[in-house]
Amino acid sequence: MIKVGEKAPDFETKAYVDGQFEDVALSDYEGQWTVLFFYPGDFTFV
Amino acid sequence: MHKVWQEEELSKMVEGGVPFPMLADPGGDIGKMYNVYDADNGINIRGKFVIDPDGVLQAMEILNEPTGRNVDELVRQVKALQHTGNTCEATPAGWQPGKKTLTPGEDLVGKVHENWDPDEEIE
Repeated sequence: MIKVGEKAPDFETKAYVDGQFEDVALSDYEGQWTVLFFYPGDFTFV
Repeated sequence: MHKVWQEEELSKMVEGGVPFPMLADPGGDIGKMYNVYDADNGINIRGKFVIDPDGVLQAMEILNEPTGRNVDELVRQVKALQHTGNTCEATPAGWQPGKKTLTPGEDLVGKVHENWDPDEEIE
């Protein structure tokens, strides 16, 4: 179970970034503040 | 799908489209790790996770499907977390940049009322 104060679980996936599809991992964003935002589906509100 | 949404709708709300990566989570593998996956409906519900530069989870919020989130509150939390990261001071309820912080520790126990007024929370 995830908890605040503990390492956020890392993952890799495909992402759409600046008009391109890229492989990204959460660990790519170490060194900066990161917000991970989940939503039920495209074309819905957030 | 992200590409179509960005091109067809988001770019109408934000010039140039949203400026951050849109990640794919087919099968909800990431959602399961973060406890937001709704297996009955095959969707991720509305989770928000703030992760610091060391990769440590610092804040999380999960709302059920009908309720949208509040970007102002997200930004406030990130500013508060950054302030604590820079100063080790704690940021009490409703804290905004420039408002009073508290120094955590034994000296504060039972003394919050001497150091902080609930009116501080109200604009």
